[in-house]
Order: sequence, then structure tokens, then C-alpha cells
Amino acid sequence: MMPLDPDLTTLVVGEEETAQIAACLQRLLADTGASYSMVLDRAGQILAWESDSERPEMIHLGALLAATYASTQEMARILKEDGFRTLLQEGLREKIFTETVQDQWLLVVIFDHKVHLGLVKVLAKRASVILSNILDVVRQQRNSLRTPRASQLRKATTDTIDLLFRDETNDRKGRSGE
Amino acid sequence: MALINVAAREIHGKIVYYGPGLSGKTTNLQVIHARIPTNTKGELLSIETETERTLFFDFLPLDLGKVHGFTIRFHLYTVPGQVLYERTRVAVLNGTDGVVFVADGERNRLADNLQSLRELAQNLTAQGKRFLDFPIVFQYNKMDLPDALPVPILDRYLNTIKAPRFEAVAVRGQGVFETLRAISKLVVNKL
Repeated sequence: MMPLDPDLTTLVVGEEETAQIAACLQRLLADTGASYSMVLDRAGQILAWESDSERPEMIHLGALLAATYASTQEMARILKEDGFRTLLQEGLREKIFTETVQDQWLLVVIFDHKVHLGLVKVLAKRASVILSNILDVVRQQRNSLRTPRASQLRKATTDTIDLLFRDETNDRKGRSGE
Repeated sequence: MALINVAAREIHGKIVYYGPGLSGKTTNLQVIHARIPTNTKGELLSIETETERTLFFDFLPLDLGKVHGFTIRFHLYTVPGQVLYERTRVAVLNGTDGVVFVADGERNRLADNLQSLRELAQNLTAQGKRFLDFPIVFQYNKMDLPDALPVPILDRYLNTIKAPRFEAVAVRGQGVFETLRAISKLVVNKL
């Protein structure tokens, strides 16, 4: 039988760990000369990012990268590989290099032609080891959201869902039909 | 698995719309995108074939704003429904916190619904999730069609786990937001 997903519960990333991730990304940018770096979870949500300039549509890029990575894992399964640890997308102006962190997070580096790919690969690998240690700490702190304050947050979020996720046209019809 | 970033004070959840081909998964996201307040939604991204069938996924980020100082974000995805894309569905399902199973209510699609549902259960189990405990909501779509099966029959064959379920005519927006509210609350209550 398949073992249960160790991350079935919510992953709570604390302030200290977020600062460590940010420091890791800043160092990676400084040492490689890359322009953008981020850490995603495997669902495509951006955990942290560092950049030398504002970039639009990064939420969409995160979703696409995570889905692309997940699809390459399926390709690996078909080829009976353990998995592909890295991805590289090469454009005319920029490249995107992605390295996995324990199959849970993705480290993404975006860089232009002035930056050496080999350097990015080596330093991203080193950064992924640091991130892996941070992930271990985060996993040990799992379930820390089960507090009375969190219960209030859940209640308030539920109220917000009722307020925002409604369709006035159909809700009105539904009410008049009652 | 939902993600809570304490430093950034953000909570993220991923919801996947699953179901057989042409059951109305993309239509759900299109309706949500068209009718939800502008400041709540991002751009709807669709990766589709030249015949406008979903090839990889549709993606719609929703931002509920701040609640108790936390920014709440839901990312909605659809999977491609065609049988051919089974491994792609596995990839999109990766890391999801909740599933909407969009069933096609037409009589001649019951077998397709059952096959898709079985596949969903297998895929969730393969990802280490307990299907019976997992946040899931059923939507019986196209219930306005003359050959739509009655709800008790759809319940008997599809919703054996007695999850929340909603009748819908997604193309007219009926049932779309009830479904979204239900799955969002299930995901939040699992945090």
C-alpha cells in the first residue's frame, strides 16, 4: 500500500524560515548575476522571490512551471527513471533553470545570456541543499495552525467566501424561487 | 497541501476541477472569471488545442483579500478531460487541496463519469491522499438537458461517499458559485 503523503497537512512556513529562504535567494542572485529567483511549492504557489526588477504575471509563471515539472515527473515514470531533478528552458533573451528541493519545493532561476549556465547549475544545486534543510525544519513544525486564533481565521475566511463567491444574478433567481 | 507563509501573511490553496471530457470544467472557470469582482480575480490562463479543448490546464488565481491580516489566495485549475491525457491529469492534480468533480448529467455519459471518478480516486490514492477524507464536491452539470439523469440516480452511482453535491447548468452560471463556495469552505476547514 502507498504510504500516506507526509505533507498531507498544511505546511506552515514561519518568519525565520522565510527570512532564511530570502537570504538564500539573494545570495544566489548576487553570486550568479541572475535577474530573478523564486521558490515554489509543488502546487505552483510562490513561497518567496527575489528580483532586480518588478516582473508581471509571476503567479501564472509559477503555475506553469510547477505543472511542467509535475508533467516531467510523469515522463520519468514512463521511462522508468527515478525522476528528473532539473529543468531548463532556453529562450533567445532569457533562460529558466529549475531545481527540485526534495520533490516538494522548486527553486527557479531566471537569467540572461551574460550569465553562465554552468555557474547557475552549480550554485542552484548548493542552494537547494540549504533549502532542503529549511524544508526539514518547516516539516517538523507542521500542524501549528491548530490554535484558537486559527479557528477564528477559518471562521472569518468562511464568511469572506460567502461574501465574495456569489453570483448575484443566479443567487437572486434562487431566492425568488424559494 | 495548503501553504501558509507566516512572514508574508499569506494562505494559499489549490482547487482542481476534475471530470470527463466536455463535462463543463472550463465553463465553470470561465463563468467565475466573468462574474467575480475584478479586484478578486487574476487573468484566466488556458492552454488548449487548436479546437479549443483543454490540452494541459486552465488556471484562474483568486485573491480574497485580507482576513485577520492574512491574504487568502485560491488557485483554480481544470484538468484536460479526454482519456488520452490521463498522465497530464496526474501532473495537474499534484499538490491539490480540494477537488470539484464535474459530472456530465446526460444519460449516455454515466459510464464516462464513472471511469473518470475511478481514475480520480486512484490518482489521489497514488499521491498518498485518503480519498474518503479528502475535500471533494460533486457538481452534476447540464441538468437542463431533457436526457439528464435524475439526481437520486447520479447520487447512487457517483456520490457514494455522500460528499456535498450541486445541480448545475454551468453555461448559464447556475450552480457554479454554490460549488465554488462549498469546496473553498472544505479546503479552509482542513487548514
